[in-house]
This record gives sequence, structure tokens and C-alpha cells, in this order.
Amino acid sequence: MGNSLKTVFYRNLWGENPVIRQILGICSALAVTNRTVNSLVMGVGLMFVTAFSSLTLSALREHIPDRIRMIVQTLVIAAYVIIVDIFIKANLPEISKALGPYVGLIITNCIIMGRAEAFARKNPPVISFFDGLFAGIGYTVILLGIALIREILGFGTIFGFSINFIDFTKWTIMVVPPGAFFMIAIFIWIASGIQNRRLKKKEAK
Amino acid sequence: MTPQINPFIIFFASIITSNMVLSNFLGMCSFISVSNEFKTASGLGKAVTLVMVFTTVINYVVYQYVVLPLGLEYLRYVVFIIVIAASVQIIELAMDRFLPELYIKLGIFLPLITVNCAILGISLFMVIRNYNFWQSLLFGLGSGLGWWLAISTLAAIREKTGKSKIPQGLVGPGLTFIIIGLMALAFMGFSGIFVIQ
Amino acid sequence: MKKGYLYTIVFIAVVSIVFSGVLAAVNAAYKSRIERNVLNAEKASVLYSMGIEADDAVAVFNERVTQKDIEGIYLYSAVNDEGVMVYSIPFEGSGLWGTIRGYISVDQGLSTIKGIAFTEQNETPGLGGRIEEEWYKEQFRGIGIDKPLVYGEDSGIDAITGATSTSNAILQIMNNFIDTTLKELEEADGK
Repeated sequence: MGNSLKTVFYRNLWGENPVIRQILGICSALAVTNRTVNSLVMGVGLMFVTAFSSLTLSALREHIPDRIRMIVQTLVIAAYVIIVDIFIKANLPEISKALGPYVGLIITNCIIMGRAEAFARKNPPVISFFDGLFAGIGYTVILLGIALIREILGFGTIFGFSINFIDFTKWTIMVVPPGAFFMIAIFIWIASGIQNRRLKKKEAK
Repeated sequence: MTPQINPFIIFFASIITSNMVLSNFLGMCSFISVSNEFKTASGLGKAVTLVMVFTTVINYVVYQYVVLPLGLEYLRYVVFIIVIAASVQIIELAMDRFLPELYIKLGIFLPLITVNCAILGISLFMVIRNYNFWQSLLFGLGSGLGWWLAISTLAAIREKTGKSKIPQGLVGPGLTFIIIGLMALAFMGFSGIFVIQ
Repeated sequence: MKKGYLYTIVFIAVVSIVFSGVLAAVNAAYKSRIERNVLNAEKASVLYSMGIEADDAVAVFNERVTQKDIEGIYLYSAVNDEGVMVYSIPFEGSGLWGTIRGYISVDQGLSTIKGIAFTEQNETPGLGGRIEEEWYKEQFRGIGIDKPLVYGEDSGIDAITGATSTSNAILQIMNNFIDTTLKELEEADGK
């Protein structure tokens, strides 16, 4: 597969979607998904970090000595995460409190390291930047999907706005951690179901 | 005067009711990918426990006596991750030299651990919650044991389910997440057993 | 690629210096703002516990709230939106994971809880961390303090599902507050 903008986009959002197809970056993905706003902030933060760390590492790729590659990658990623952390603390203090240590944990999010290793190491800066950005978007979309369902069923709100006009009993299970596990299982199930059906169609032809 | 929480409550809570993986979602990556065989999973669990205790202690000392006095709190992520990477290397070297048998068993897991979110997570939680030395130590140990317990249990269940007939779309990660969800529910059932003094 | 040791060392040094520089600059630029946020959040918490709605917490706080020192107990007092004089008193206690701090407001006769707000808590996000949610905090408004607080249908206070320890810790903190801080205040007030 080539590395045009289109293939990179398709690959990161569906074909190799980091969360539902590669099962990466789950750590931080689930903890914050009982509120859509938190997930959105987390997703945008991750997008920023993957995009810019891919850009930086790709620009430096000819100069980084091999034996300290991992350390340099970690340093660059950590630096961007700290910027995101300071920014959220300064501008969105409430959300910063709700996210707690999970912003810092973006550093060990396997998606970023994965993109740096698998893509940015071998490709020029601009396309690496978009690769990182799209991986971040692929992650955010899934996060928001899970968060939306959890918030609607668990709290009866969307982005914090009440939807009380539809009256139903709130599903407590959606608020607590097991709900997140079940939701992600369903997402993966749907995704691989669609993928399997496509494969079958291809074989039939 | 801040009230101090009994370190032993932290210890037991972090093993069961507030298990790192099942309620804080930390260390998921390797939790999923290295849990299809009981023996390997248990090995990784041991290695994680070891590294967790080691790095929690070092990070505590570094944070209290280097980072805080210098006013570099905002750099703590970088400091912690470097400490973790370095400790893993040191443990690897020391094990190879002094405990070669153990190294053959656990050695392959050590590099994986550097990027395990749970390890960094423990250090960050320790700082945010202002733990003292004993609280941090028992928190690290408890969380490590909790992680080990969770991954061994998951691997044991997955070995059994490997032969069952399930919908095709659920094979692999899908089913694993459902199992984890059920485990998390079961662990939550213990949440009433602690009395906070 | 293969490079010499010297190159490696110089490279890592340059990378570290550049990034620490950038970070130090970002940190310096935002530091005062972050500190101000913390202070504003504190004021907003005091107002919330009192039952005063405010868009601009700082302005309203400065206008309506006065700080008092009654025999060594520092508290804030103000007339809330219902026109009742309330005291907002800081509290502190242990949760499941760490110290929980905040403000509890009571009416002047020290007989009813007017509200509670948290300024610091490190409970598990999504579980115990939910004590910060409105529905939980609102339950305590107007609760009489003639007897110890308990969860259940009789009292109309619900605990948080899956976070029994944190929920119990909150009640423990509040009962403890009623037994000690309020008693001291009553005695001090009577003098």
C-alpha cells in the first residue's frame, strides 16, 4: 500500500484503527469514557501529541543514533504531553481535575510509540504528521462513540446536557468500569463482523 | 495536619477493589496481548510486580529529594519515565548476572514493561495523592500483586475458552474484553469489605 | 545508523536542552494562570456549598462573602440565594485513596446542612470520583443534623454504586465534622 494522504486516512480510521483493530491505547481510552466532554479533551490531546511527535521524530529520523532511539522517542513524546497537560490545567481546570493522571499517561499510550516506530521512522515529516493526526482521530472517534453510549445510558445526558424528556431508568453498569469493557467488546465485535463479511464477499467473487 | 490513611488499607484495596487493570484500566496493552497462556501471563505478572515496587520506591525518593527541591514538578513525567526505563535496564543486567535462571524466565518481559502504563500510573497516583514512603511502597506492591492476580486469572479463563464455539466476530479481543468486564464486576463485589477509619 | 559515542552524547544533550527549554518557557507562561485557577476554584466551591449561584465566582465572592475567625475557627459567612445567613467551614478527612478537602455550609443556628463542595479529592475517576457530581452533592442540602447521617431511603441520601468505600468515607467525614468542628463552633459561638 502506498502512502498517499488517502490511504493513510483510510488505514488509521478503519483498516488499522488503533483501538478496535489493533487493540492499542486502551489504557487511557476507557477510564475517561463515561463523560463525552472528558473523552473529547483526551482525544484532542492525544491527536496533538501523536501528530507533533510524529512530525518531530520524522524530521529528526536521519540524525537519531539507533541505540538511543527509544529514549529520544520517549523524551519527545513526554515533552509534548507536558505541554498538553499544562495547557489543559491553565484553560480547562475542571476537566483537568476529572482527567487526573490520565493526561500524563498519554506518554505510555502505545498508539504514539507505535506510530513513531512503524511510520515516522521511515517516512518524511509531512505525511508522518498526518499519519499521527489520523491515528489520533481514529482513536478519538471510537472514544467518543463509547462515551456517548455510556453517558446517555448511564447518566441520561449528552455532553452534560440533560435529555430528561425521554424517561428511562439509568444504567448504572454503564458508569462503572465493567460497562466500558462491555462497550469496547461490542465495538470490536461489530468491526470484525463487518470486516469478516467483506472478506467473504471478496472470496465469493 | 493531613489525616493519614493506613498503608495496609491501601495495600489490600489496590489488590482487589481498586485493581489497577479492572478499575483504573492501567496496563491494558500487555494485559490483552500477553494473556493467552497462563504460564507466560504469570511470568509477566511477577516481572511487573518486581518493577513496580522498585520504581515506586526510586521515583518516591527522586521526587521528594530532587524534583521538589528544584521546583521541577512540571518535568515529572520525563523524570519518571527515565527512572522507569533506567530501572528496567538495571534489573535486567542485575538479574542476568546474579539470577540467570530467573532471567531466562522473566527476562523477555522486562523491555515490554517500560511502556506498561500501570508502572507510570502508580508513580503519578502516588504524587497526586501525596503518599508518604510506606503508603507508596505498599501501594506499589499491592498494585503489582493485583495486576499479577488479574492477568493470571484472565489467562486461565482464556485457556479454557479457547476451545469453545463462539460467534466469529468475537474471536480474540472481543471475547477477551467481555471476560475482563465480567471479572471487573466480580472484583467490584468486594468493595464493601473495607472500613475507613 | 551507526554513529560514534560522542555524537550520541551530544545528540541526547542537545535534545534534552532544547525540550527542557521549551517546557520551561511554556510552564513559566502559564504558571500564574494555573495558580489563579486553583484560587478561583476554591472561591467557587465556597459559593456552591453556600447555595449561591454565580457566573463570575470571584466577583460574587468578593462582594458577598466575609471571612470570620471565631475562636480560632476560620469560616466564611454570607447571605445565600434563599436569603438565609450561612456559614461555610472548611473540612478535611481521608477518602479511600487520599485526603478529601472541601467546604460544608450550615445555617446560623447550626442545625441544618446547607450544602457541601469538594476542593480536593483523589478517588478513582469514574467511581469514587463521582462524589463531585451535582446529584450527589445536592442530596445533602437541607439535611438536619440532629442525628448522624446514614444512607438509605429514610434519609433520602444515596451512596454511589461501585464506590462503597468512598461513599462511606464521605459520611464518616461529615459525621465527624458535625461531632467535632460544629460542637467547637457552638461552644465558641456561645461565649
